[in-house]
Amino acid sequence: MGAVTDDEVIRKRLLIDGDGAGDDRRINVLLKSFTKWCNSTGSPEEGFTQYQRMLGTLAQCEFSMGKTLLVYDMNLREMENYEKIYTDIEQNITSAHDKISECKKEIQRAKRIRKNRQEYDALAKVIQQHPDRHETLKQLEALDKELQQLSHIKENVEDKLELRKKQFHVLLSTIQELQQTLESKPDSPLNS
Amino acid sequence: LQRKLRSIWSISLLILLSRYKDRHLHMSVFSQSFSPCGRFLAAGNNYGEIAVFSLSSALSPDATDLSQTPILTFTAHEGPVFSLFSTDSHLLSAGNGEISAWSWAELIKRNTKAAWTRRPNYKSSLEIPEINAMTVNPTENSLVIGGGDNNIHIMDLESGIFKSVLQGHTDYIHCLSVREREGEILSGGEDGAVRIWDHRTGQSVHCIEVYKYEECARPQYGKWISCLTTESDWMLCGGGPSLSLWHLRSMSPTSIFPLSGCQRQANFYQDMILSVGEGQCVSHCLLGGEVKAQIPCTPHSLNTLALNLNSTDNRVLTVGGSSHQIDVFTNLSYRTFSLSF
Repeated sequence: MGAVTDDEVIRKRLLIDGDGAGDDRRINVLLKSFTKWCNSTGSPEEGFTQYQRMLGTLAQCEFSMGKTLLVYDMNLREMENYEKIYTDIEQNITSAHDKISECKKEIQRAKRIRKNRQEYDALAKVIQQHPDRHETLKQLEALDKELQQLSHIKENVEDKLELRKKQFHVLLSTIQELQQTLESKPDSPLNS
Repeated sequence: LQRKLRSIWSISLLILLSRYKDRHLHMSVFSQSFSPCGRFLAAGNNYGEIAVFSLSSALSPDATDLSQTPILTFTAHEGPVFSLFSTDSHLLSAGNGEISAWSWAELIKRNTKAAWTRRPNYKSSLEIPEINAMTVNPTENSLVIGGGDNNIHIMDLESGIFKSVLQGHTDYIHCLSVREREGEILSGGEDGAVRIWDHRTGQSVHCIEVYKYEECARPQYGKWISCLTTESDWMLCGGGPSLSLWHLRSMSPTSIFPLSGCQRQANFYQDMILSVGEGQCVSHCLLGGEVKAQIPCTPHSLNTLALNLNSTDNRVLTVGGSSHQIDVFTNLSYRTFSLSF
């Protein structure tokens, strides 16, 4: 208390009640009237009325003090309320930030998926242009069969050709032999 | 040959024009590259200059007009800078048939001294072939260079020695791509062929002549391939023929994109394909072949598209072309602002 300078006291008092038309004045007036009442030399009725008046002023002072205390309590509670709201909002901000970064990751994932799908589509388009594997296999099988049949026929024809060749060979060789025999004995009386 | 002559003539004309104050009118941005930290963008133009922009200041909330201009502009080569590539520490630039490396840390400090400059062994000494494309093969730590001499040169990044030359193209090479997992290098050229090379043997494993496929071919534009990009089993290529998506395992085209004009660069991004070329827009396409959106931009014709995937804060798409302005997209759906060379 000793460290507080007069200036501080004056400043504080001016701040609280600078106009002099309020509680401060009331307390000063009460003190003055109290001292006056203590030193009063008037009649007991006057003293009594003064006493009543002082009680009234005292009640007024108490009343205004009560009011100020209530206002002070209210302010404290408002402060707490605001603190709570402040922390709530901060939490909301951080969770929103988290959600945003999650969403960004989602978007990256979705873009990658989309890219993969598009690559797949592009390749699928190219593959579609080529003929179906089953069809090609069937065609190959049919061609194989045809080939086998034809080679079979070719074998048959070749066999027949061989046989005819041999038969003709036999025939021609017999004819030749006969010719030779006829030529070798021309003057033998063969023809009857 | 006609194209080479025309390019020589245009180079000399542009060098003259670069001295005049309306050089901005004739400027074209040919290449872009983001720094490894993702905070800077380097762009190369037809005057042989490289400009470094600070993306972090251009994207910050208190950006001014000044932050949309380069923090550093310098002449890197005598000819146009057709290709830029960033490694973990250096910016590689190709121009006038040579490759220079600039340390990113030095560039940020505005020091424009090249770390090294090398030139592949060209057979003919008469004409210096331009280098159109450069990319790095990370498994071998080698730089793959495609140039005007129809060959692909491979240089070891550590030693600087030119290890091998891949021959096979019959006309100059426009674009390159590397498939790390399979160890393949793909190249697309003026002769209309996309060749797939095995990086170990140096042999051409496959040769796809895109213009021979009826669904892709656009004879009215020609057969040259100017853009090539790969991702796992898929490849995008385009140029004279329409931009098409190929499945590399089956070597078949799966989707054709109905984009008018020749595409000069295409990229896979998430579930979409972004493509730029002739035409004042960035095309967004789906893998199935449909064009989802075409976003308008400043340059009338676009040459380069770059995505800043190195950084989380500055994830932007930038495009450059026949204008001194480079459009920046923070949201793929619209142009946010433009950087000025």
